[in-house]
Amino acid sequence: MAEPGVLLTLRSVTKSYGGTAILHGVDLDVRDGEFITILGPSGSGKTTILRLIGGFTAPAGGEIRLDGQDITGVPINRRPFNTVFQDYALFPHLTVEANVAYGLVVRGTPRAEVTKRVADALELVSLGPFGKRYPAQLSGGQRQRVALARAIVCRPRLILLDEPLAALDVALRHQMQVFLKSVQAEIRTTFLFVTHDQEEAIAMADRICVMNAGRIQQIGSPHEVYYRPSCEFVATFFGDNNLIPGMLGPTSGHRRSIETSLGTLLCSIKGQPALAEAPVGSRAFATCRPEAITIGPASGAGAAENRIAATIDQVAFGGASTMAFAKAAKDPSIALRASLQSRPEGSAVSAGDAVTLSFRAEDCRLVPA
Amino acid sequence: MSARDVIVGRSRAAALFATVAAYCVPLGFILAPLALFLTYSFFSVDHGNIVFSPTIANYVRFFTDPVFQPIFWRTCLLCLSVAVLCVLFAYPVALFLTGLKGRWRHVVLVLLLVPLLMSYVIKIYAVRSILGGNGLLNRTLLALGIIHEPSMLFVFNLNAVLLTLTVLLIPFAILPIFLSLETIPKALRHASADLGASDLQTFLRVVLPLSLPGVASAMSFVFVLAIGDFLTPQMVGGQSGFTFGRIIYSQFGTAFNWPFGAALSVILAATVICAIALGSLAERRRTAR
Repeated sequence: MAEPGVLLTLRSVTKSYGGTAILHGVDLDVRDGEFITILGPSGSGKTTILRLIGGFTAPAGGEIRLDGQDITGVPINRRPFNTVFQDYALFPHLTVEANVAYGLVVRGTPRAEVTKRVADALELVSLGPFGKRYPAQLSGGQRQRVALARAIVCRPRLILLDEPLAALDVALRHQMQVFLKSVQAEIRTTFLFVTHDQEEAIAMADRICVMNAGRIQQIGSPHEVYYRPSCEFVATFFGDNNLIPGMLGPTSGHRRSIETSLGTLLCSIKGQPALAEAPVGSRAFATCRPEAITIGPASGAGAAENRIAATIDQVAFGGASTMAFAKAAKDPSIALRASLQSRPEGSAVSAGDAVTLSFRAEDCRLVPA
Repeated sequence: MSARDVIVGRSRAAALFATVAAYCVPLGFILAPLALFLTYSFFSVDHGNIVFSPTIANYVRFFTDPVFQPIFWRTCLLCLSVAVLCVLFAYPVALFLTGLKGRWRHVVLVLLLVPLLMSYVIKIYAVRSILGGNGLLNRTLLALGIIHEPSMLFVFNLNAVLLTLTVLLIPFAILPIFLSLETIPKALRHASADLGASDLQTFLRVVLPLSLPGVASAMSFVFVLAIGDFLTPQMVGGQSGFTFGRIIYSQFGTAFNWPFGAALSVILAATVICAIALGSLAERRRTAR
């Protein structure tokens, strides 16, 4: 029944609240030992998925399987999953130790084992000396680590994390991202992490599941999702991107052309067989990341397949990189951006320059419109 | 001085007056009688006339006379029992209330509070008729065959005082417990279930400990109201249901010994203050964490 390596399976899972559909038939395989992130804007249904898996709420339809066994009707306290809540949900009347021990104690674990496992878990999250304190006496980051230890100590099959870093400030959040990732690598437990922050998802996940409006848009590695978006939503949701609308042209090998208002562009379709099948003339976007675009002189020649004449509109310094905003000469309604490595002496281009934007076919991907 | 200044000046004077009044009213109507009591408790009575020379004889009498202290302690025990009983009955009700949703919660809450709007004396009569020889309680017990003739165990003794006070004061216990249950975040119950706890374990390990501050204030609330009550023991206590409140009442009435009555009142006030302090101490120790 169960595919090898698959821990948890969601099949056509639906959910609605008060007549409004929140999830429209979600299919998801969670692999054993992976760090999977469910990413989406608020209202996309990502937290609902977590709540359904955790057993906090029941799906309207579909089923949830663990190791191939249907667990849709199993109550929350009998599922081998533990949750790290967004607001920590630590028990205020219990010490850190008692909080961490809670899951073991209610299951009747022998006292000696509880003591040892709690000490180990607190050591793992570097809170060894804080065992006797109360949650109110800890900082936000420390409480977060207690919440993590409380889940880890139960040795669940899956740890569900509900935007656990949302309440922390930026510096602490980055620190906790690295920390969570290292803990996961050490204990090799499957983590299902829900967030609305793309950078957080890219920084931590083995796989990202992008959601929008109750549907999964794309599942893949951060690299895949970033460079090979499967739809317009994913292409625009992650960071800065250039989208040029057009109509599909003929396919040749791993490449396919697209007719746009800026001329014919050549794009790679390597690893995307479905795109080779799409009929000629169907609407699509050519996408290219700003960092893949090279800015050259207006008259210059180059090796890159795609070349667009443009005028620099604005140059914005952004620390490590500088972003150049340009308008295409053939169709000024299309704004393009290219990022340059920042230099101490300042940018080589400035507003008003006529330039050629060039990018390789390998760096350009097609997205169905 | 412009017209505006006059208006501002006048409203400022009004505000000042309001502030003074706000502090003076409680000062005049609460603190002054208390001070008066304290003063009177150091006077004495000679042939029905109050002797205005300071003495501690009243307090000495309370601590040495074998009559008063047993009644005082018995009353404290009685009121403690009332507090415990009220909490035992109120807790399930409060728990039930927190489980209700939307409009039903308000409906039930109002129903529970309606008795507070009724006259105290009428409520005592109502309870007395239930507990009496021909009352609902006796007739039910007779019908069930548990007793064979009407029992007088429930009226005109301390049992009657205990039962009546409990029935009358339960609403005062429900509210603080309900409020403390309401402040427990739902996420904590979710977290408990998520960690594998059954509903009963969640209740015993999370909900109950976190609602103890409410239980403490409910108990001190009920205790204070019960110990200050002389009307209920007077009406349903009979000869054997003698409480501290009734003694104070008799000192002012029948015995016409105001200074001694004042001294007993001061002792009662001290007890009440202790009970409130204990209640809020228990509350703070819990919530400080």
